Amino acid sequence: MGIRAIAQVLTALIISFSVSAQQQDDWDWEDDEWGVAEEPAGLPLHGFAELALGRRTVSSPFHDALSLGDARLRLETSYLWHDINIEAKAEGRYDAVLSAWQGRIRELSAQFSVGSRLDVKAGRQILTWGTGDYLFLNDLFPKDWQSFFAGRADEYLKAPSDAIKVSAYFDWFNLDLVYSPQFDSDNYISGDYFSFFNPWAGGVIAPQPGFNAKRPSGDEWAMRLFRNIEGKEIAFYAYDGYVKSPEALSIDGLPTFSGLQTLGASFRMALGSGLFNAEISHHRSKEDGKGENPRIPNSEWRALLGYELEVVTRLTGSFQFYLEHTQNHDALLANSPFSDWEVEQNRVVLTNRLTWRNQRDDLTLSLFTFYSPTDQDGYLRPGLDYRLDDNWSMSAGMNLFFAEQEHSFFGQFKDNNNVYARIRYSF
Amino acid sequence: MRFTYKWLVPLSLMLSPLAQTQEVDVQEIVKRAELAAYYAGDDGRSAARMLITDPQGRKQMRQFVILRKDREDGGSQDMMVFFSRPADVRDTVFRVVKNTERDDDRWLYLPGLDLVKRISAGDKRTSFVGSHFFYEDVSGRSTSQDDFTLIEETDEQYLLEAKPNDPAAVEFARYKVSIDKGTMLPVKIDFFDAKGENYRRVEALKIETIQGYPTVTHSRVQDLRSGGETEMQFRFISYDLGLPDEVFSERSLRNPPRDWLELRD
Repeated sequence: MGIRAIAQVLTALIISFSVSAQQQDDWDWEDDEWGVAEEPAGLPLHGFAELALGRRTVSSPFHDALSLGDARLRLETSYLWHDINIEAKAEGRYDAVLSAWQGRIRELSAQFSVGSRLDVKAGRQILTWGTGDYLFLNDLFPKDWQSFFAGRADEYLKAPSDAIKVSAYFDWFNLDLVYSPQFDSDNYISGDYFSFFNPWAGGVIAPQPGFNAKRPSGDEWAMRLFRNIEGKEIAFYAYDGYVKSPEALSIDGLPTFSGLQTLGASFRMALGSGLFNAEISHHRSKEDGKGENPRIPNSEWRALLGYELEVVTRLTGSFQFYLEHTQNHDALLANSPFSDWEVEQNRVVLTNRLTWRNQRDDLTLSLFTFYSPTDQDGYLRPGLDYRLDDNWSMSAGMNLFFAEQEHSFFGQFKDNNNVYARIRYSF
Repeated sequence: MRFTYKWLVPLSLMLSPLAQTQEVDVQEIVKRAELAAYYAGDDGRSAARMLITDPQGRKQMRQFVILRKDREDGGSQDMMVFFSRPADVRDTVFRVVKNTERDDDRWLYLPGLDLVKRISAGDKRTSFVGSHFFYEDVSGRSTSQDDFTLIEETDEQYLLEAKPNDPAAVEFARYKVSIDKGTMLPVKIDFFDAKGENYRRVEALKIETIQGYPTVTHSRVQDLRSGGETEMQFRFISYDLGLPDEVFSERSLRNPPRDWLELRD
């Protein structure tokens, strides 16, 4: 099934939704319809249909030009049952890059309160915390890097967790406790969409189909203590689980996820006419405390400083300074079979986000830049979002990696530079 | 010298009618209008919807519920806006702490990412969710930012003219505001640019008295240059609900306080 077939399916879907939406959602301003009475009539149905296409801007020895080809239908509903709020978001998708149909439950959760100070949310859900913008120090919930690099909507950077989250609210602090009975990994770069550098292979590779890392059978705990004091937001974090992407090799030489414990803190407040944030995190490698095992990532410190400011009306700029300090770096180099390719002891990443919105607030132009002076590599994400009306919106953008060398973090993706466009009908 | 005080008291009483210049009067009017427009009751809840019409006549809708609680009358306020329509902003929640001494604190909850995004203080005279209303029209422009003079008084209305203290910070050179004497609500505001052109109008189209508080239940903003406009209607308005402080928190972003959001008259 090719692109044309996807387009036909999607066009048919969108037309059918447009028609039904016009019939039921012809919202007469003067009538008394506020959507209040209609609720008991049945489950509310929302969602979107989307077509997304992307192609590589450079030829890749591993992949065809098509870098993104999604025809997606998302359906969402919610139901209140005895004060338990049930949320369901499911989607079906034809993926032209993998030439495969996929069905996914994105969210299926039950949320309820116990007494006046306790909230529980159980089931499949999206989880986010921390202060970084596209940089994650204490947020160890699963990310979808394939979607991020391919140009899917921002929402897809976050992959769901199957977890139970208990939130407790007290006068002095609030507590979030998240338990995932089974480790939820990132949707990591595995070769099927994008090529990557593998030191054991001695270069850039793209296994087809993408490799499957060996999953640990253990669980994950994540905790956040937080408080907002007159607009100053303070939080402390802890995590016990695994490195979210397969950066380790098992004894039998298979990619896998090594044990990880983290502790951290963050702070965010208004400063001058902008926003300042700082975050720190210590990542303790549970299986390689001394950093001598080249198959297991070392422990590291992560630190972030950020500032955001509306530069002129409707143009916002933000900067972040991010440091990854690898501990026992000498031991890492001494034991590594490829010490030339190991990370710098101090990896610095600077980011800049520029966002401009037009006066009517329906057009957004943005540019997000990652640049690492220590790795001499970077990643540019220019983007455009345009909202045509209450149903139709479109987006376009690019994912551009640049680097001196192919083994650095962004450098390994140089063959995957791409341009994409998406059109969405929301209902 | 103690006896001089005896003289000061009657003197000051005599002086006060003379000292009560127009300035004092105007400040009083402005303050009362601000309280009437933005501080009715100790707290309040309302459903709101907007009909946005662009210059080509194309229409868009927004629907949301606002919760508000005053920390002090005429002072700081907590506000939360829960969006229900259109589909792409459904379940998005906007939280504002309106501060009098410093910039407002603002957060936006994006449910798709489970992200509590803090928004830096910005120009508040920019579109509120794509409408012709500005953020400032919704949360209220601090009356200390403008210098008011009374230019006309009729039996029904005061007509004031306001000039910004910091003209570089705003798009208008001056505005005229008509305040209804009966309710002390601003019923019409006309904005003028440096050339004297009236390019923007905000007006109350319907006022109802709810629990004793005169309330604008239908208003409109017109972009007189382009022809676009936004109408806003309020329903299910309720004051002095006794909203607890805890409602105005990060908790309500992720778990909206359903009891307080239930729409009923």
